Amino acid sequence: MGKQLKVSLIGNPNTGKTSLFNLLTGLNQQVGNYPGITVEKKEGTCRLPGGGKAHILDLPGTYSLNASSADEQLVVESLLRKEQPDFPDLAVVVADVENLKRNLILFTQIKDLKIPAILVINMADQMERRGISLDVELLEKKLNTRVVLMSARKKTGIDELKKQIEDYQQLPVSPCLSVSELDATYFERLQKAFPEEDLYRLWLCVSQDVALKKIDESLLKANEYSERNTPEIKRLQQKETIARYLYINRFLNNAYQVDRTKATDWRSVLDRILTHRIGGYAIFFLIMLLMFQAIYNWSSIPMDFIDQSFAHLSEWTNNHLPEGPFTSLLAEGILPGIGGVVIFVPQIAFLFLFISLLEESGYMSRIVFLMDRLMRRFGLSGKSVVPLISGTACAIPAVMATRNIENWKERMITILVTPFITCSARLPVYLIIIALVIPDQTFVGFNLQGLTLMGLYVLGFGMAVLSAFVLDKIIKNKAHTTFVVEMPAYKVPMAKNVLYTVLEKTKSFVLVAGKIILAISIVLWFLASNGYSDDFYQAEEIVRAQPENTMLSEQEMQTAVASYQLQHSYIGIIGHAIEPVIRPLGYDWKIGIALVTSFAAREVFVGTLATIYSVGSEEEETIKERMSSDVNIRTGKKLFDFPTGISLLLFYAFALQCMSTLAIVKKETNSWKWPFIQLVLMSGFAYLVALGAYQVLT
Amino acid sequence: MWSLQHILVYLAVAAAVAYLVKKYFLKPKSKKERTCGMDDCGCH
Repeated sequence: MGKQLKVSLIGNPNTGKTSLFNLLTGLNQQVGNYPGITVEKKEGTCRLPGGGKAHILDLPGTYSLNASSADEQLVVESLLRKEQPDFPDLAVVVADVENLKRNLILFTQIKDLKIPAILVINMADQMERRGISLDVELLEKKLNTRVVLMSARKKTGIDELKKQIEDYQQLPVSPCLSVSELDATYFERLQKAFPEEDLYRLWLCVSQDVALKKIDESLLKANEYSERNTPEIKRLQQKETIARYLYINRFLNNAYQVDRTKATDWRSVLDRILTHRIGGYAIFFLIMLLMFQAIYNWSSIPMDFIDQSFAHLSEWTNNHLPEGPFTSLLAEGILPGIGGVVIFVPQIAFLFLFISLLEESGYMSRIVFLMDRLMRRFGLSGKSVVPLISGTACAIPAVMATRNIENWKERMITILVTPFITCSARLPVYLIIIALVIPDQTFVGFNLQGLTLMGLYVLGFGMAVLSAFVLDKIIKNKAHTTFVVEMPAYKVPMAKNVLYTVLEKTKSFVLVAGKIILAISIVLWFLASNGYSDDFYQAEEIVRAQPENTMLSEQEMQTAVASYQLQHSYIGIIGHAIEPVIRPLGYDWKIGIALVTSFAAREVFVGTLATIYSVGSEEEETIKERMSSDVNIRTGKKLFDFPTGISLLLFYAFALQCMSTLAIVKKETNSWKWPFIQLVLMSGFAYLVALGAYQVLT
Repeated sequence: MWSLQHILVYLAVAAAVAYLVKKYFLKPKSKKERTCGMDDCGCH
C-alpha cells in the first residue's frame, strides 16, 4: 500500500470550501485546533474511485498568500514548509463562480509555488441564473491546470473532482508568472543571497507582514532577511498583485462572461434592504429579537426536563443507595454538577443552530458589514455583534462564537469584554437583590424594580463597549488586517452543514467545559461537606442544645444543623477568612461564602444563601423574608439594605464570577494569561466599584 | 460500607483535583514535532 495522498483545500472565505470538505470526507473527519492557536483544523479521509485514499486538509480561508493574520500565516507556512506533515501533494483551490477573478489571484500564487493544483469552481449551478458563461477549456489552457465545475449544494461535480485528484500526477506544475519580471535587479539580488531556493518561495518569505517561524531553516533566514518590510517590498507586492490581475484579465475576458440581462438577480435588491443604514439595523434587531425569544422559548421545555430529570435522579440516588458520603457526593455534587452542564445544552444547540443558519444563508456577512463601522470605533469588529448578543444567554457559547472573528486583536477584545454582558445566570442574583433593596413602586409609569433590571443590562453592555475601547488602546496587534467581507450569494442553508456545526459545538462544550465544571463541583461539594473542627462534626448536638432552637420542627432543625455545619465547613472557614476583605463592601461572612461558591456559577449565589439562611427550601419568598430581616452584627442595621444591595448588584454586574467562563476563555485562547488578566481586571474593577458605591451610599 | 464510601469520595476528589491541576498547571509534553501555531511560533 502506497503512502496516502495529501490534499489541501484552499480558497477565499465563503467559497464553499467546508461544504466541499464535508462532501469529500463525509463522516471521516476530525475537527481540532492547530497547535497553540485556535484556528480550527479540519482534516479527513476521502475514498478515491480507484480504491485509494486521500487525506484532506481544510485550510483556513484566505484571499492571498500575503499573510497578515495568524490563520493566513498558517496557510502560507503549510505551503512553504516541504518537510512538515501537512505539506500537500496536491492543492485543490476552491473558487466561487461569481468572484472568479479575485479567487484566481490565490490560485496563480499557488501555481507559482509549483505545487500541483486543481481549480474547483463552486456554485456552478448558479451560472445560468446569474447570466454567467464560462469557457472551461480556455481556462484550463491558460491556467495550465484542470478545472472542475461543481456545486457543493447540489452535489454535482464531486466524482469528477475525485477522479482529477487521483490523476494529480499528470498535472503540470509550471508557474503562471515569473516574479523576477517585477524588478529584475531586486530579484537577482535576492536569488544570489539564497541561490539554493526557489525564487517565488523566497519572495513569499521575504514579503510577509508576519514573521514566519515554522518554515525550512534556509527559508527562515530569508524570512529574517534584512530587506524585509521595506517600502520597496510593499511596492513590489503591489506590482505583483497588478501583474496577476493583468495576467488573469488577459484570458478571463474571453473565458468568463456575464450577461446581466439574462440574470434573474434579486440579490442586489435584498442587499440594499438588508444593509440599509436605518432599515438594515431595524431588520437585524428584529431578527435578533426573534432569535433570542426562540432560544429562550424553545430551550425552556428541554431545560426544564433536564432540570427535573437530574433532580429526580438525585432524589432517587439519595433514597436508593446506601447512606454515606459517596451517595451524598453523587446526589449533591456529581449529579447536580453534570446537570449544571447538560442544562445548557439546549441553549447552546439552539444558539449555534441559529448562528449556523445565519451564516449558511449568507445573512451573517450582511450583519458584519452593517455593524463593522459602528463597532470598529470601539476596537471591535462587525463580527463581535453575535458573540456580544449571545452573551445575554451565556458567556460560554458567546466566547465560542468569537471563532468567526479572524483578526486576533478583535477576537481577543471580544472574548475579554463578552463576560460583562448580563448573562442568564446573573438573573436570579439580580432578581433576589432587587426584590430586597429596590422598592416595588412605579416611577413615571414604570416599575422601579423593572427599570433597575433593565439598567443592569444596559450597564453590562455599556461596560463591554467601554472596556473594548480601552483595550483597543492597550493591546498591541501583531497582525494588521484590513477588513474584507465577502458578500456571498443568498442560499438555502444545507442541513448537513448546519447539523455538523450544532453537533460539533455542543460536543465541544459538553466534553471540554463540562469536565472542568464537573471537577469543580466535586471539589466545591467536598469543601462544603467537610471541616476540621468539633463545631463541624458535632453540629447536630450543638444546634439542638441551643435554647433558641428548641421550638423548631424536625425539618427546621435539620436545615439549622446543615447551616451550622456549612458555617464551619472549609467553605465556611474560607467565607470567614475573606470577611475582612469584603466587609468594606458591606458584606458579611454569609455573603462571603455565597461569593466563593458562586465562583462555580453565579446562580449558585441564591442556592448558597438559601442553605445558609436555613429555610430548607429555595423558594424565593422565604429566602427574601429571612434575608430581609437579617441584621448585620457589626452595624446593627439590616444586612441587605440599599447600600449593600447596590454594592452586590454592581459587584455581580462586573465581576467574573464564573469558573466555566474562565475555562472556556482558557480553551479558546490556549493560554492562562488571558483568563487571568480578565479575572483580575474584572473582579478588581467590580470590587472597587462595589466599594465606592457602598461607601458613598452609607 | 462507610469506609468504602469514604474511599470512593476521596478517589473522586483526588481525581477532580488531579484533573484540574493537570488541565491548568501542567503543560502537556508534545510527542510530535511542533508545527506552526505553537506557543513559541510567534504567530499569535
